[in-house]
Amino acid sequence: MAARLARAPGISLQHSIRHAAILLVAGRYRDTDRSALCRLHDQLPQPRATAWWGAAPLTDVHDPVTIAEGDDPVPQLRRLDRDLLRGARASEPDWLPDEPPNAWRGKGDHGQGGKGMMGGVPYGRPMAMMGEEMRDGLMLDAMTVTIGPFLRTLPPGLSLELTLQGDVIQQARVATPAYSASGIASEPLLRAARILELLGLPDLARRARISAARGDDDEGLVAAARRRGALLALPADLADVRARLDAALRRGAAPDPGEECLVDRLAGMEWQSALLRVASFDPATLSRIAPAAEPEEGEEEKAA
Amino acid sequence: MTAADLAFYVLSAVAVVSGWRVFRTDSMVRASFLLMLSFIAVAAIMLMLAAPYIGMATVFMMAVEMMVMALFMVMFMMNPAGLNPMSMVHQNRLSIGAAATAFVGLTVAVLFTDLPHEKVARQAPVIRDLGHELLGPSMLVFESAGVTLLAAMVASVVLSARSGRFGPSDEGSRPPGLEPGGEPAGRVPESEQEDE
Amino acid sequence: MTAIPLVFALLAAGIWLSALAERFASGRRFPSGTVFAPLLQAARLLSQQSVRTEHPDGLNWVLSPIAYLTLAVAGLSVVPFAPELAVAPLDTGIVLWGACEALTIVAVFLHGWSANSMLPLIGGYRFVAIGLPAMLLSMFVLIAAALPAQSLSVGAIVESQRSLWNVVRQPLGLPLFLLLGLAISLRGPMDYGDAADLSGGTAAEVSGPHRLAWGIARLAMLTAFAAMGASVFLGGYLGPWLPGPVWLALKTAALLLVLTWLGRNLARMPAPRMMAALWLVLLPLSFLDLVIAGVEALP
Repeated sequence: MAARLARAPGISLQHSIRHAAILLVAGRYRDTDRSALCRLHDQLPQPRATAWWGAAPLTDVHDPVTIAEGDDPVPQLRRLDRDLLRGARASEPDWLPDEPPNAWRGKGDHGQGGKGMMGGVPYGRPMAMMGEEMRDGLMLDAMTVTIGPFLRTLPPGLSLELTLQGDVIQQARVATPAYSASGIASEPLLRAARILELLGLPDLARRARISAARGDDDEGLVAAARRRGALLALPADLADVRARLDAALRRGAAPDPGEECLVDRLAGMEWQSALLRVASFDPATLSRIAPAAEPEEGEEEKAA
Repeated sequence: MTAADLAFYVLSAVAVVSGWRVFRTDSMVRASFLLMLSFIAVAAIMLMLAAPYIGMATVFMMAVEMMVMALFMVMFMMNPAGLNPMSMVHQNRLSIGAAATAFVGLTVAVLFTDLPHEKVARQAPVIRDLGHELLGPSMLVFESAGVTLLAAMVASVVLSARSGRFGPSDEGSRPPGLEPGGEPAGRVPESEQEDE
Repeated sequence: MTAIPLVFALLAAGIWLSALAERFASGRRFPSGTVFAPLLQAARLLSQQSVRTEHPDGLNWVLSPIAYLTLAVAGLSVVPFAPELAVAPLDTGIVLWGACEALTIVAVFLHGWSANSMLPLIGGYRFVAIGLPAMLLSMFVLIAAALPAQSLSVGAIVESQRSLWNVVRQPLGLPLFLLLGLAISLRGPMDYGDAADLSGGTAAEVSGPHRLAWGIARLAMLTAFAAMGASVFLGGYLGPWLPGPVWLALKTAALLLVLTWLGRNLARMPAPRMMAALWLVLLPLSFLDLVIAGVEALP
């Protein structure tokens, strides 16, 4: 749905919620994603507003702006933005209480989280803790964070719990699986657009989205991607991503990755490469290779 | 008191205070950049002492050096904005002794050295003179220091590289024996010593 | 002291031009008032709230955009607008510029670190790893440009190009130097700090006036870099008919447009690959550039 917005002049989709003015909830969301949605909303800078496009507003939201699924949201979004800037519409308050999710449980002698100088779970959030680096066994601190389920660079709905050492992923776990396949014909192009964005080619990504929204074939897309080095930039160990990007740009079927487990493949990968690999799978494959893991304790949403 | 005097006192104060804060702050990244600030103040004093090249080069070198230090700290600690505060001092007795000795030594050196009094002429080609000194009388000293450092850097990269000196290091590389088919040369790893 | 207003005029014009070029390149049509679009964007950001993260390092969080902007101004202060017309016509011009480059990397890192959030931290961390080698090779390239001038002063380097511009004399110089420009102004193929894969990297947590300040500082650094590149490789203020400052402004604008185009039209490699390329391919190329300059400088 959001691909249709790529053509709208004056509306730009942001990568970080902090850079946005309006939160647009497009399409249905899972009940379990409600709290993530609330946290996302509360990170919007004021003045802020939320528009529900083909989505049911949360029950306790005052005066929600709803847009029917078939309607063009652009005029409404423009009006909403203008009203916000002029002060004709009041900025939305926080949906969640502004307090830590858990009580302070730090126990260090310097007022920090854990014993000694590291680790611990103050406010229920895990701090950096020593662990063996998986490549050479060096003892380094690793940090665990959860990204998603509404991170623009990940497939919609997918949320990953990552243990990071620098920009290298030590361990990954699927917190919530991606939304199931929508079955629309333009899906490969939207996926290609996400990959192109990860490669730092926003203009080409927009072109792919426009082509997807129009439903026509943009013959020059593969050549344009090749000219800008999109395929060349992917190293040999991401050859599978390269093949899937090439196929997605041609709207063809990608080679089947076979029986693999996504989170196992992510361990040891650098951030950008890992996101590129996650973004390259089509929804059907993704739901097969990245099913929800058994819930553990201490799930935490950090990024917008 | 002239403007130059005032600038000297202000810069000295910045250098001393930020140097002191290095040990009182609670995060390694803050400590390294406070140290950088201290060095930058010293570099500015060098600029005032008609040593423009050394002053600028000090800023440049210290920025890079402290940046690399901070990078390693993030690598080891993975700790944004010093979430977990930590103490910046340890081995207090030894450090106090070392610091007192260094302070006394430097003070004696400053007080008993016959420092030059004549001013550097405004148009003196100081950078050219420095270049002639570095590539003239002092060349042997600087070049041997430079080449030694370079060799150390290359050696440390070779030793720590994944490709390893005797095959991939993550697949258990072994040095060849002194005679064909003999025991691997060099120190036997501790893990293997226990097995025997 | 006519140089001081010139520096700020060049900065303002450069920021405005690159903001416009960025909007134009993104292919978005605007109903009206395209020329004022950057101002409208600035006004919008000023009206927004500047969100604070939980427990940021407040001092560095505020100081890093200011330091970034200050470094751009300091770097521009050694660029001559005409013979003997620079804010700081130092004998050590390119060493000062090198110090500004190094401190820029520190400013970007602190911006990411001080936010106390994961994505900005990774952005700052990754940027340092790529930015340091990029800066290293830019220093070799600048030393090569200083060889024919027999001086470290930017004015002397410009004067040494009266017969032939450095971009022709040292063909490897400008392309290698442009890489650094992309890195320190955080754009395109060298943007490992504020990249989209980190949802904005070091700037992922900033909003409102803070984001405006960071954006302005980025464009100011881009402008300062373009003016430096124009002076060292394109003959700076040299040129027939028009006065020196106009030539400098034109060449700076040309480099700005080239950098904007490159930034939007080249894919960014994953960091390990870029790291290998920098150390194994581009750094030796900068040595080669130095050798070429040295052989030419032989009497």
